[in-house]
Amino acid sequence: MGFLNLLINGLIEGLIIALPALALTLVMGINRFPNASAGDTMTFGAYAALGLQHAGVAFFSVAVTGALLAGAVLSWLCYRLVFEKLSRAPMVASLIAAIGIGFVIRSLIGLIAGHDMHTFALPLVRAWNLDGVRILPTDLAIAGVAALLLLLVFSWLKLSSSGRQLRAVADNPDLAKLSGIRSRRLMGVLWLLSGALCAAGGVLLGMKAVVMPELGWEMLLPAFAAMILGGIGQPVGAVVGAVLMGVAQELSIPLVGPSYKIAVAFVVMLLVLLVRPGGLFGRVEKVR
Amino acid sequence: MDAYLLAVGTIVLIYALLAIGLNLQYGETGLINFGHVAFFALGAYTSALLALNGWPLILSFLAAGLIAALSAVPLGFAALRLSDDYLAIVTLGFSETVRLIIQQEEWLTHGVQGLPGIPGMYTSLAGIPRAWAIFMTLLAVTALAAYAISLLQRSPFGRMLRAIRDNEPAVQALGKNPSGFKIRVFMVGAALAGVAGAFYAHFITFITPEQFIPLVTFYVWMSIILGGIGSLRGALVGTALLMFFLEGSRFIRDIFPGVAEVQMASIRLALIGLALVLFILYRPQGLFGKRTT
Repeated sequence: MGFLNLLINGLIEGLIIALPALALTLVMGINRFPNASAGDTMTFGAYAALGLQHAGVAFFSVAVTGALLAGAVLSWLCYRLVFEKLSRAPMVASLIAAIGIGFVIRSLIGLIAGHDMHTFALPLVRAWNLDGVRILPTDLAIAGVAALLLLLVFSWLKLSSSGRQLRAVADNPDLAKLSGIRSRRLMGVLWLLSGALCAAGGVLLGMKAVVMPELGWEMLLPAFAAMILGGIGQPVGAVVGAVLMGVAQELSIPLVGPSYKIAVAFVVMLLVLLVRPGGLFGRVEKVR
Repeated sequence: MDAYLLAVGTIVLIYALLAIGLNLQYGETGLINFGHVAFFALGAYTSALLALNGWPLILSFLAAGLIAALSAVPLGFAALRLSDDYLAIVTLGFSETVRLIIQQEEWLTHGVQGLPGIPGMYTSLAGIPRAWAIFMTLLAVTALAAYAISLLQRSPFGRMLRAIRDNEPAVQALGKNPSGFKIRVFMVGAALAGVAGAFYAHFITFITPEQFIPLVTFYVWMSIILGGIGSLRGALVGTALLMFFLEGSRFIRDIFPGVAEVQMASIRLALIGLALVLFILYRPQGLFGKRTT
């Protein structure tokens, strides 16, 4: 495993983490709580794609699209049934509810699909070897899909009117309401988007590794760390933070071994919070 | 059956110690600790490793509390600078990191294989059954802890904690510094969790990293939510209710013999998750608590 291989792997993992990190930062910026159920929404997405494949959906792209839809609907339901009702409660109420929802999702998946590891039925391809740098075409596809999705979300945020409204609500909810933005409909859009992003992250992660019930939960800390690194409520920050986090995790492997990935995320998170709590892209205001 | 009930009672008391600590941290002071299991784990491994190296149990128990309390100091400092949401994530990350270290540093902890053959308590006791002796010791320790905390609640120190919880800027405006209080509260809660961990290790006599997953933390959260956050009595009753539910759910398998243990674990987890959500939504004050803002 040369340095370049680790770097490439880190970039790809970073792009995968970027999807849930973007979802987390949008929700954190607007609904003001860390959505701890995001990890298990990822797992749900991966299992939805797996289930569609088992049900005989021949095209993987169709299965993935189905998984994104399923993740979006799940996330929307969670918002309408739980988080919306808690919007006036203290932050910790939503956070504990999110943990509870995560437990429900994870255990139902375990109950229905079992605790064995699964892999997607994908065509086997040989890795390209460019002077010792191994590149898997599957990995390239993963990175491509993740980058495409991020591009779509960013152009939606920047160009569409609902994207603009969403940014307005994130900036100042009261002012946005005064200027006639219907925030309820907008919240629905936000949670649909957040769920789809998480599900996409789950599917891509499942393609890169294996699908198991703990898949998303283990990604939650790196995604939180990416969000904090980039600055809360900063979409670009979340993506940059995620890529840096992915690279940092991979490059730490020769130093501390592959098992300490989560610890790397934790240390980065702690350092950012103590040294620069606004994150890389945070505004110059007291956010902590 | 008696032996079984006694074992359940012992576990209830161990969790009660955890709940007393968390209730002091969150219920009284408003510090969100999502990594309580880390201190439980540190206490369990500290005491187990020392006892395996020949330390007398009384010393290894004290060391467990001490190590857990000391490990809380850096988190206490982090808590001074972080708001609630960040503190929640950081403490959760801390507990996962501690578990990872226990899992990876095999030279010390035997990694995933765990530590077998931890010396039990009261092995050379004659006269009364060992299980009873353990239970009564734990009962005494828990009662003492609960009594000490209730004294603390009524002391100026306790009033200060509630003031910090309810309005920290006001506390600062009165010229008091919340920092020292927060760190001490973190340490006291962690020490209780450490001692609970020591009891756990010497009661079960076999510990693995798998026993210290974040789920344990949320069991404790569930206990204090059930009983009503901020109420010491509620925390104790909540713990008992939760543990009897968790243990009682084992008997569901006697009624439905087709359910495998691993499935039962999933069902239990789903029910706990659902209960967390429903309580937060419909009964945030717990079963017996009075409604507060």
